[in-house]
Amino acid sequence: MSNSAFLGMEIALRGLYSSQRGMATVSHNVDNTNTPGYSRQVVNQKAARPMLMAGRVGMVGMGSDVVSVDRIRDTYLDEKYWGEIQHFGEWYVKHTILLDLQAIYNEPSNSGFSKIISDFYDALQQLSTDPSSHSIRNAVKEKGIAVAKYFNSVAAHFDHLQEDLNNMVYAKVEEINTLADQIQKLNMQIYNFEVMGYTANDLRDQRTYLVDKLAQLVNCDAYEVETGYTLPNGMPEKRFVVAISGKALVDHGSVVHLKCVTREEKLNFEDIDNLYEVVWEDGNKLKIKSGELKGYLDMRDGNDGLPALNGSGNSPSCMGIPYYQRKMNEFVQVFARAFNEGIIDIDGDGVLNDADGHVDGYTLSGAPAGRFFTMLDDEGKPMSSDQFESEVYKYAEAKGVTTSNFDKLVAGYGILTARNFSISFEIDSDPVENIAASDQAGEIGNNNNLLKLIEMRHNTHMFMEGTGEDFIKTLISTMGVDGQQASIYLGIQEGVVKQIEGRRQSISGVSLNEEMVNLVKYQQVYGAAAKMIQAYSEVLDILINRLGV
Amino acid sequence: MRITNNMLINNIMTHLSSNLNRTMKYQNQLATGKKISMPSDDPIVASRALKLRTDVAEIQQYSRNMDDALSWMEITEATMNQINDVLQRFREITVQAANGTNTPDDLQKIGAEAGELVTQIIQLANTTYAGRYIFSGFKTDKPLLNSDGTFNVGFMENEYIQFEIGIGDFINVNVPGYDLFHRSNVASQGDVSSLFQTLDSIKKAINGQDLDPDENQHEKISNLLGELDLEIENLLRVRAGLGARMNRVELTSNRLDEDYVSFTKLMSLNEDVDMAEAIMNLFNEQNVYQASLSTTARVIQPSLVDYLK
Repeated sequence: MSNSAFLGMEIALRGLYSSQRGMATVSHNVDNTNTPGYSRQVVNQKAARPMLMAGRVGMVGMGSDVVSVDRIRDTYLDEKYWGEIQHFGEWYVKHTILLDLQAIYNEPSNSGFSKIISDFYDALQQLSTDPSSHSIRNAVKEKGIAVAKYFNSVAAHFDHLQEDLNNMVYAKVEEINTLADQIQKLNMQIYNFEVMGYTANDLRDQRTYLVDKLAQLVNCDAYEVETGYTLPNGMPEKRFVVAISGKALVDHGSVVHLKCVTREEKLNFEDIDNLYEVVWEDGNKLKIKSGELKGYLDMRDGNDGLPALNGSGNSPSCMGIPYYQRKMNEFVQVFARAFNEGIIDIDGDGVLNDADGHVDGYTLSGAPAGRFFTMLDDEGKPMSSDQFESEVYKYAEAKGVTTSNFDKLVAGYGILTARNFSISFEIDSDPVENIAASDQAGEIGNNNNLLKLIEMRHNTHMFMEGTGEDFIKTLISTMGVDGQQASIYLGIQEGVVKQIEGRRQSISGVSLNEEMVNLVKYQQVYGAAAKMIQAYSEVLDILINRLGV
Repeated sequence: MRITNNMLINNIMTHLSSNLNRTMKYQNQLATGKKISMPSDDPIVASRALKLRTDVAEIQQYSRNMDDALSWMEITEATMNQINDVLQRFREITVQAANGTNTPDDLQKIGAEAGELVTQIIQLANTTYAGRYIFSGFKTDKPLLNSDGTFNVGFMENEYIQFEIGIGDFINVNVPGYDLFHRSNVASQGDVSSLFQTLDSIKKAINGQDLDPDENQHEKISNLLGELDLEIENLLRVRAGLGARMNRVELTSNRLDEDYVSFTKLMSLNEDVDMAEAIMNLFNEQNVYQASLSTTARVIQPSLVDYLK
């Protein structure tokens, strides 16, 4: 039994095909060296099925065969990456926003709270050394305005930031939905392709890359589940599922979007109107555990875990914008109540005393004084002392406090916020007359009332945290500690993510050196196979042309 | 471990950017002179910085209060010094008038001088400091005495104007008129000042007015001398009190000056950057940066591609 005349040619041809395929793969890899999410491919090459020969010859090798082109990928690393990038996303957002918050407070500097409150007290001190001076009385008014404006401006910045964060929540939800749609489309393409028995290497890379991006936005799991059916090619049928907190966002060919719904009722008292609640499009409640979206939601809604106004459980336990708004409100309420009315805990027994405040003093001409601080009315003008008092009483009565004027004042100052804090109309329009320096009518050199107001600055029972300045100091260091923590966590997460990314690159990344070696390898084999064809050609030449008959 | 081109590049980028981050930190420190620019850089330094700033600002304000207190007290002291001179002169002429060798003409001249001195006392009682009557207690807009020696303003007990010169530390800066001019008895509006009363009765005795027929003029003047001595003694008492208070202000002022120095020093220690150290650090980072740039340039460029011909 003899070989077919062209068998050798056929075998060499297979060699050409295999090395061509190998070179094509090298080329594909090199082209995609910088493609994000790409994993390198290798040619899976086997010796072709040998030909069985009769007699004693045994099997004749039939050259090489390319069985498949595989992507080199460690799915364990993908899952690990998704598990870590979500925390990176959350801390990245929190870190950035805490920097914004700190910038709003602008401390330590020569223009932050401590400077402004110091200036105010300095002016009061100055006035105490010359209580009848018109110019110093005007200076006290200006410094009082600076204090009020500082709180207004901080509150306005917070409001603005909250609105920005709300818009970011919306944008991130849109981004998640878009990614979900893209993943769904890829699911279908991959399924249709793989039904034929191939592996959709590049499409799978793209899908993994989209999940990478999605995982940074929101906590999600992605996995393939076997449906129990068998495909025509004999492989089990699989569906690709992406789930947020256990509920499927994408399940093979179907997508459930997320939706932003404007809240009917505020979550926190301090919130601005019309914030978004993120829910599933099908009406289910969404639970977000991490990711950038969680970062934005936490910073937008975080009120140290206070019960929510709208009865939907508690606010996020982190300290976000509502927390700082609430603290600023608390400051102006307690501070103004003490300064105006003298309602302050003098002896530290935890019970508010009715000491002397601005209203207990007398104006320059000897009339009983009004309040120094009030609030802005709806038109943004400072309220008069009496107008403010009636608002305060109204507010207290609405809260069910009707027992005594003292109790009403204690409760009613809740109406005051950092947003509406202001000096009173009287002080604003005629500071010379209306600042109450004296504790007796008609004594223009009497500074006793001023001294009492000044003394409150050092009353360590004013707040739980101590004096007013201690209160703000505590607030700012809380923010500093939070910011520091966020930046440390961010650093850690960054390290972890980079480490995983490095390992991914180590396994799936393209190495140019390696590709070049492969190129040379395939090229040489190509040349050798071509040489074989030439050799066979010469053999046939001898056989056909030179065997002269 | 398999190392790929992108791993190298990612690694290099990570290290370069963390190096630049540190460089920026030191550059920031050098540009601002401060260790931190945000509370989160170091919350403890930030919170101490806030406290120290407040402390320093307060010390400065207390210093200003003290300067105001001192100038008020210095005016008061100078005025009382003049009152003392007037009273001493008054005593001299009273002693002279008590001498039996005076002719009626002499007595008349002495009486005229006594009258002048009394007017001067009333003027001194109405001394002002920056437009404020210093002896009128809280009614600094009103003169203390009328020309007839009655009080123009009424007083409450301890009508002291207080300045704060330390946390919860108050000092009385004024001498209330009743203390000096009424031998420390609280006076109401319209009461005649005891000092004026004494001087006025001596003046009248010298002028021979209000004299009982059987009364000896010289004896009467001699007796009134005792009253005058009481007034002078009162003045000395008040002056001594004021002197003691001025002393206290000066001592406190010295202490505050020292506090100011030590607090600003603390503030600087807390938040100011150690320039030498920061410059060293910056140079160090620059060296590392250059080293990593030059290694990057060597590592990143060549691959097998360059050598395949």
